[in-house]
Amino acid sequence: MRSSALICVLFIVLASAQSWEIAQPGYRYEFPRDHFSHPGYETEWWYYTGNLHAPHGHRYGFELTFFRQAQKLNAALIASEPPVWRPDQIYLAHLALSDIDGHRFYHQERLHRAGPGLAGAALSDQRYWNGNWQVRWTALPRADQELMAVCERFTIELHLKSAKPPVIQGQDGISRKGPQPAEASHYISFTRLTASGTLKLGTTSEPVNGTAWMDHEFFSEPPASDLTGWDWFAIQLNTNEELMLYRLRDAHGRISPYSSGSYVDPQGRARFLAGSDFALVPQETWHSAQSGATYPVTWQIRVPSLGLLLNETTDLKDQELREPDSASPTYWEGAVNYRGTSQGKPITGVGYLEMTGYAQPVKLSGLSPQK
Amino acid sequence: MSALLLFWRLLVRPLAQEPLRTSLTVLSVALGVAVVVAIDLAGDAAAGSFHSSLESLTGKGDLLITQTAGLDEHLLGRLVELPYPLEFQPRIEAFATVNGKGEALPFIGLDLIGNGQARIGSFGNFERPIWAGAALNWHNGQNVRLLINDVLTDFTVAGVLPGEENNVIVTDIGLAQTITKRLGHLDAIDVKLPSSGSVDSWRRLLEKQLPRGVRVEPQGSRTDENRKMLRAFRWNLRVLSYIALVVGAFLIYNTIAISVVRRRNEIGVVRALGGARESILSGFLAEALFFGFCGSVLGLLLGRALATGAVKLVGNTVQALYVSSRPAAVHFSLESIAAGVGMGLLVSVIAALAPAVEAARVPPLEAMARGREEFSRRQGAGKRAWMALLLFGVAALFTRLPPIQGQPVFAYLAVLFLVIGTAAVIPEILGASVRASRRMLMRVAGVEAFLAAQSIEAALGRMSVLTAALATAVAMTASVAIMVGSFRETVGVWMASSLKADFYLRPAGSAAADQHPTMNPAIADDIEKLPGVAAVDRFRAYAISYDGMPATLAGGESSRVRDAGATRFLPGENGRAILDKLPTGDYVVVSEPFANKHKISPGDELQLPIAGGVRTFRVLGIYYDYSTERGFIVLDRKTLLKYLPDPAESNLAVYLQPGADASRVREEVDRVINGRGILVFSNSTLRKAALATFDRTFRITWALEAVAILVAVMGVAGALLAMILDRRREFALLRFLGAAAEQVRKLILCEAGLIGIIANLVGLALGTVLSLILIFVINKQSFGWTIQFHWPAPLLLAVLSGVLLSTILAGLYPARMALAMNPIETLHEE
Repeated sequence: MRSSALICVLFIVLASAQSWEIAQPGYRYEFPRDHFSHPGYETEWWYYTGNLHAPHGHRYGFELTFFRQAQKLNAALIASEPPVWRPDQIYLAHLALSDIDGHRFYHQERLHRAGPGLAGAALSDQRYWNGNWQVRWTALPRADQELMAVCERFTIELHLKSAKPPVIQGQDGISRKGPQPAEASHYISFTRLTASGTLKLGTTSEPVNGTAWMDHEFFSEPPASDLTGWDWFAIQLNTNEELMLYRLRDAHGRISPYSSGSYVDPQGRARFLAGSDFALVPQETWHSAQSGATYPVTWQIRVPSLGLLLNETTDLKDQELREPDSASPTYWEGAVNYRGTSQGKPITGVGYLEMTGYAQPVKLSGLSPQK
Repeated sequence: MSALLLFWRLLVRPLAQEPLRTSLTVLSVALGVAVVVAIDLAGDAAAGSFHSSLESLTGKGDLLITQTAGLDEHLLGRLVELPYPLEFQPRIEAFATVNGKGEALPFIGLDLIGNGQARIGSFGNFERPIWAGAALNWHNGQNVRLLINDVLTDFTVAGVLPGEENNVIVTDIGLAQTITKRLGHLDAIDVKLPSSGSVDSWRRLLEKQLPRGVRVEPQGSRTDENRKMLRAFRWNLRVLSYIALVVGAFLIYNTIAISVVRRRNEIGVVRALGGARESILSGFLAEALFFGFCGSVLGLLLGRALATGAVKLVGNTVQALYVSSRPAAVHFSLESIAAGVGMGLLVSVIAALAPAVEAARVPPLEAMARGREEFSRRQGAGKRAWMALLLFGVAALFTRLPPIQGQPVFAYLAVLFLVIGTAAVIPEILGASVRASRRMLMRVAGVEAFLAAQSIEAALGRMSVLTAALATAVAMTASVAIMVGSFRETVGVWMASSLKADFYLRPAGSAAADQHPTMNPAIADDIEKLPGVAAVDRFRAYAISYDGMPATLAGGESSRVRDAGATRFLPGENGRAILDKLPTGDYVVVSEPFANKHKISPGDELQLPIAGGVRTFRVLGIYYDYSTERGFIVLDRKTLLKYLPDPAESNLAVYLQPGADASRVREEVDRVINGRGILVFSNSTLRKAALATFDRTFRITWALEAVAILVAVMGVAGALLAMILDRRREFALLRFLGAAAEQVRKLILCEAGLIGIIANLVGLALGTVLSLILIFVINKQSFGWTIQFHWPAPLLLAVLSGVLLSTILAGLYPARMALAMNPIETLHEE
């Protein structure tokens, strides 16, 4: 716990003439520009997750997420804060390590304004960073990246190489989340990043290898939305195929028709999957004593058009991120396994599962609990 | 059991029969202990609160990164990227006063968003939001107008920070930079370390990453440095607080000695009946312990009560001379209780040792014989004279010895030896004085005065102790009065020679020695353009740390100082040449206390961490300065600006053209600074203000002296009271023989007066010698100031006549008691 003097910062967003850019169909993506910051959009994130293993087979999962949240500031604040410290962009970051075979889960949150080099994500810097958590693009325009994050428990360093070109999710350059025009995002994924590096946990340091996934989304929060949570799946199969699937829920637990996903074939070609193209069926649940939330930690996944039947399981049930007085709501994000059949043939896979809105309703940006 | 009974019959019962005298003795010990305890507590409280409120807010960081005149904020960006699990919290430190008046409150800028270290509330919806310590009693949403540097700004209280003692004002770092005009700068970066690894290993690791000139040190170092700086001050204050106890020791000695004399017969009886010497010895020591214990316990309570006032007095001095500190709550520790009681008991036993030993040595038969009512004078006059001579010799030798760890231990021992030595020959002085003066007394003051002189001689032993106690108190008071008077005179002369400008300007608010708020540089430029203004001397100061001690780094305009002749250098140094050379390179002049503290001589080189590096400056000269004990390192303004290019000034000195109309210029100056929190002092008001500050810093000293005198006078009263009881036969006889009541009263008052006069004269002589030690040895070794000897005649006269008057007044009650006795009954008792 922090000292009693510390209460969460809540920015009061004042009504202002300033408005954010909205994710629009037909957006023309341009790389590497679109891998970096879009300060005209209210919310942006870069989400790295991956399954790793040490030489003797010990399994780990990791999550490193950089959030950027634009703030509307009142005139007095703009006048009184020097530009360097002006909190017009707030950078939040989450770091988590799932020691799957050690049955431990570590996570930490970090918040900064840009300040004098405290955090940022600009193209000119060729990196996203928040303190000493960072991902640096080392060989632009190629997608080679170096990821590093340090916290008191562990230090992770990974070289990431993309086996496939980036996927632009959704249709016509936007990924829809609801019926309103603003309920959409620009969404780019690296679905298969080969990862190798070192993990220092406690006093031991060991080489690790594995597969990582990166999602980059930017959008502006719609004025109102029925959305209260979602379940998101990243699936990396041993057949060199990947799927991304999400289902959106409203306050009554109803599944939104705007749930969707994508299929990436071994050659890196992506195909859009509508909500009606797949079924996500919750199975066993796990109850978090700390947050009181109950999460469906195993799922059955069916994609009839691909002849795909998968069972998702996890070997570490508590992969819940909760911070006592965090700016972000509690959610579950963890390393998972897939086992099933593709057109009758047995297949396996690894990936990540994210479940939000089980502890409290969340906004699309995920940054602050919905009132 | 029988020992206890003996103790009761022989010692306690007589005490109970003289409640007034018993309580006077207890009270004198109590006052002595009280003063020691109060100063001890107050010193702790006054020195104990640097930054403590801030620490309670941010949590205690482990390391602190600082740099002379502040860090470049981009260093923070580089630090947060280091691959270590460290948390960094940047900080702006300033002071604010509400509406430019009253106490200077810490005004701290923190990163209220970064890393969850100090997130304290929402600040998007308030105009210039601040968070205020609960001690300020401000409420949410309240508007507060604060003076920071020379600007008044309105703030809104966005939240209240917990902590009853907390008077800190916190705001976001960006706003703090804007308000303090330190854009791009940080005053400090707090480093929070992980649980693994030692503070020292992290410190070394960080040191390698930091540019030269940037310091990283454990969080408490600044407090430690401040405490180190205050050590000499507190040490001397503590010694002063023992004076009353030393005076009290004489009175214990006297009381026990009187007991021994009075109970000579009983002692004889006890010894004749087989009582051991040891039981007599321990009996009287137990009596002393009784006084010591009662006095100490009472003293503790009294000391606790006095401490609150003492904290204020000590705090004033600390603030004016050293560093801004907020007196912490007085904390009664077990340690200070033990020290207080221990001190009281120790002094009592030591004081009682001599008479108790004498009592034990009394041969039973001699004791039972009548007629001996005086202290035995086993040690002959010659022996005591030799002892005194030896003590004086050792004292003289000790004044030549260097300090131990910066503390003038030998010098204080010399003072103690001089006091004891003088006390040893007081019987001779007293005897000779009354013998020499009684004829004259008879002529001037009548037969009563003659009789008074006679009876003093008859009770010389007892009277000598009394005179010694009073003389000691007078000597201590006189010596301190002479030292303070000399110091004041020296400061006055120094001000006359160094304050040559017509007006002085500085930001309003507190003037603590380590706070250097600044002014908009446009003000100096505007004033310089005013008609009638000849020149403006721009002065900038920074609180820095030099060689583990706080110091002040400053820049002034050498040519202006030279033209005005406003700086006096130590003898043998050519001030003009020094000031001519100062602007031409990396040169400095240092103030006398700084040179003394760091053993610096002209020609030496100083390594100063400045502007992202450590640079070497040559010392051209040492100048007299009495404004602060922190010590100054002064560069030419051009050199300072080369390294620290912030043109804002801390002080301005305005020189007028000859014949200019000062009041006209003053009006114009007021117009220039209109709306800003800047104070303008004319030359004379500045001097007056400075002397007022000086006087304030010595109030605590005077309070200590007053208590010592009070103890001594109480002793006189108590001793006279005892004497009257012992001499009731004599008074009865006088009355029987036809003496008027008035004559008896006069006789007693004359005795008191004679003792007062002789004690005053001895005290004055001794005090003058002691003052020389104080000025030229103790002050020099502790603080390093050059003080010109000066005899503050009116002050001394006032003190001495005050003492004399109170001594005579102390005789009033005993005189009344003597008169109340029925002569017939008294004579029949025998």
